Amino acid sequence: MNYDLLRITAGVIATIGLYSVLWKENKFYRFFEHVFLGLAAGWTMVALWTETLKANWWDKMVGTPAETGSVATNGMYAYALLIPFGLMGYFVFSKKHNWISRIPIGIILGLWSGQQVQVWWNTYGPQIDATLKPILPTTWDSLIVPSTNGLTPEQLSQVQSQIYFSQAVNNFLFTITVVSVLSYFLFSFEVKNKAVKGINTMGRYLLMIGFGAIFGSTVMMRFTLLIDRMHFIWIEWLRDGVFPFLSGR
Amino acid sequence: MKGNLGEKLQSLPKPILYLILILATSIPLFFPTEVPNEPVESTKDFYATLMALPEGSKVLLMSDWTGSTRGESKGAFRSIFKILIRRKAKVAIYSAADPQAPRVAQDAINELNMERKRKNLPTFDRWNDWVNIGYFPNAEAAINGIANDLKGAFGGRKDFPPNSPPRDVFQSPVLQGVTKVEDFPLMLVITASKTSNFAVERVSGRTPLAFAVTGVMVPETQVFYQSKQIVGYCGGLKGVYDLEQLMESGVNFPDKATGKIKSDKLGTIEGFPDPDNKGQGTRYYPTLHYALALMIIMIILGNVGMFLAKRGDKS
Amino acid sequence: MIPLLQAQAPATSFWSEAFNSSELWTKLIITLVVGLVVMVGLLYAPIRARKPIIAFFTFISGAYWVLLYLWPKPIDRQPGEMPLNTVETVSFWLADSNNVVVSFTQILTGFLLGLGIFSLLKIHLTKITKGHKDAFFSIVLLVSMGLMIWFGYADWFDRLGERGAMLDNRDNWGFTQYGRDFLFEGLLQQMDAAMFSVIAFYILSAAYRAFRVRSVEATILLSAALLVLLSLMGAVSFVWDENVKSIANGNPFILNFQLTEVAQWIRNTFQTSSIRGIQFGVGLGALAMGLRLWLSLEKPGSGS
Repeated sequence: MNYDLLRITAGVIATIGLYSVLWKENKFYRFFEHVFLGLAAGWTMVALWTETLKANWWDKMVGTPAETGSVATNGMYAYALLIPFGLMGYFVFSKKHNWISRIPIGIILGLWSGQQVQVWWNTYGPQIDATLKPILPTTWDSLIVPSTNGLTPEQLSQVQSQIYFSQAVNNFLFTITVVSVLSYFLFSFEVKNKAVKGINTMGRYLLMIGFGAIFGSTVMMRFTLLIDRMHFIWIEWLRDGVFPFLSGR
Repeated sequence: MKGNLGEKLQSLPKPILYLILILATSIPLFFPTEVPNEPVESTKDFYATLMALPEGSKVLLMSDWTGSTRGESKGAFRSIFKILIRRKAKVAIYSAADPQAPRVAQDAINELNMERKRKNLPTFDRWNDWVNIGYFPNAEAAINGIANDLKGAFGGRKDFPPNSPPRDVFQSPVLQGVTKVEDFPLMLVITASKTSNFAVERVSGRTPLAFAVTGVMVPETQVFYQSKQIVGYCGGLKGVYDLEQLMESGVNFPDKATGKIKSDKLGTIEGFPDPDNKGQGTRYYPTLHYALALMIIMIILGNVGMFLAKRGDKS
Repeated sequence: MIPLLQAQAPATSFWSEAFNSSELWTKLIITLVVGLVVMVGLLYAPIRARKPIIAFFTFISGAYWVLLYLWPKPIDRQPGEMPLNTVETVSFWLADSNNVVVSFTQILTGFLLGLGIFSLLKIHLTKITKGHKDAFFSIVLLVSMGLMIWFGYADWFDRLGERGAMLDNRDNWGFTQYGRDFLFEGLLQQMDAAMFSVIAFYILSAAYRAFRVRSVEATILLSAALLVLLSLMGAVSFVWDENVKSIANGNPFILNFQLTEVAQWIRNTFQTSSIRGIQFGVGLGALAMGLRLWLSLEKPGSGS
């Protein structure tokens, strides 16, 4: 048995072990669950140092020697302050002093929250602009957008500069959907005004369309992951691995 | 009796349901079929953006996928790299969502190179064609750093030139001359999580963004596409299949009249027919039909059962 | 060239010293000791001082990014340019310290990620030492972790030399590379995929048992979901669209009833807009939450 087949076989056994939970919780599943957790935790410990801390922290703190193609760099000793700050996080396990773990967490949260102003405008500014679309038609020459096949550039430009009735209706539906869904979120307390109540109800219904789309896309993703596993077991392992091995190819 | 039938329709045992799903997602894999398909506009724009890259362009790629979503993300990753290799692009890769992501990306590129070697095609070489910048634990801070001070954000990171110990990534041909994020004509994000949102929040407007996301992120990503905050995206397995078809047929290629895939918005975009274009999307997409059909049938069955049970109760 | 570069040692400053010099190690140890003394001192801070201390650190951290966003940015700054006034001094300082702030964030997050590992080790070592009935699985976990750490670091050490890039080619692999690959690609990635794919079974089962048309909202949800599922099936779309085209006979109005057109219309008109509405709501909430966190207006437990 060559290395590739051995590796794939191990993967198949582990996959089936994890799938055994579908029947019921069992020791086979728990064994592989713990193997998975151990491997994931182990890799995290490797990657944290090799991919991040060594270059970002240690090399900056102690400096680096001159090497082929690189000059020496000085060490910035202030990075040593991060050790006590990092250690503070581990006081979360202390009954008496666990408040101190909130200092590094507070720093991270502070750094996150300070960015929200910039983040909010970068994300939603263009979206507000894209939501405010014209809802009244500018021409009644045609109710629907005419075909652009065979048009000259001037004619095409003329068509694209107009808002036709069908576009106006679509834009109106788009805008009213955003407003009613937003109203549903903002007016989460009870409102007596009938108009606002109506808009909230409409927002709730229109929200369901978004959720339906999310559900459909999520189903596609999960089923794709399952198909990938089935392909791994039946095709990569059984058909392309085991059968050729058993037949001596 | 109808009530009993209704209740029976609603109470199929779980093991039977699971077995049917396993069969529906396994048997079709043994009978590969070609499925007719019309790529969506977002994937056409995604493909057009990649094919419009000038040869030798430098691309920044945030690779944030691991084995958990390899069913979709690996197919997208491989297709994107086939296009980038074709455009002779140079790719700087970093990750921010998962410590496993850099290793997964490297292994996927090595796998692609092994296949290219077997076909006597030039390989996509580390250091000269791509570099791995590494993992950044705090995605938001990392992307903020990239947007405001790219050299500082990537400073001190090393990768492996041939026959040499690790060296600063800015000495690589991939990042030579790059000082800010605007120096990249394109930033790609292949992700299974919200790191694509972080890229929009912090980088949008500085350089064009294009995403390859998993199915669950498609509705959110569509919002960014509609407001033109991203130039295009490839979503889920359907997106991967669309991309493979676009690689094969192009858009309006060789011309709008005879092209297999048409677009009113785009001009002529070359395809490059090659059996190698058929990847994960082509292998999995037909099987997805059976799985989705099963889902639809089971939902209908459950509701029919509910109605029959209600009528049975009333009578 | 290299000897010349090596001869030109980088200039030291108050904040930096030469690599491996006694000055560097002295300052490093002093800094560490000072930091640890401050940390120990904080342990004995009075209870009333705890909330202000946390609020102080939180505010200072957030203030950097707020200032960076709101403070005027230098226009066309040249290398070596000196600031002309206080405003420029601050803007130069904000720009120059961005790299350090981002670096500190990455490093602190990296240290805090270790919390999860620490917790895992604590729980499972306790189970083993106390002879818990599931101690066997804890041993399995720790052995797997140990193996991955060993092979992961061994592989990394191998790559640090001149052979680093060569080890991307399997022909040059040794025992540690095969070990790392077996554990990472052969086991970890496959199990990761299996764990996530199990949800497919639960989704099917849940949809079959719970997805019922009992209300207007459920009907709309179900209809939208079914439409999206159908539109994801290229073969179904093709058959539907071909039938519509044959009925339409070129009539542009009837052509709108192709599945791809209907799905696109629903997506562009209702789906995108409703999700945008959700995101606006979530975004406003996140902005409010961000401000409250930055200003430490959240209710305690922050000082208890």
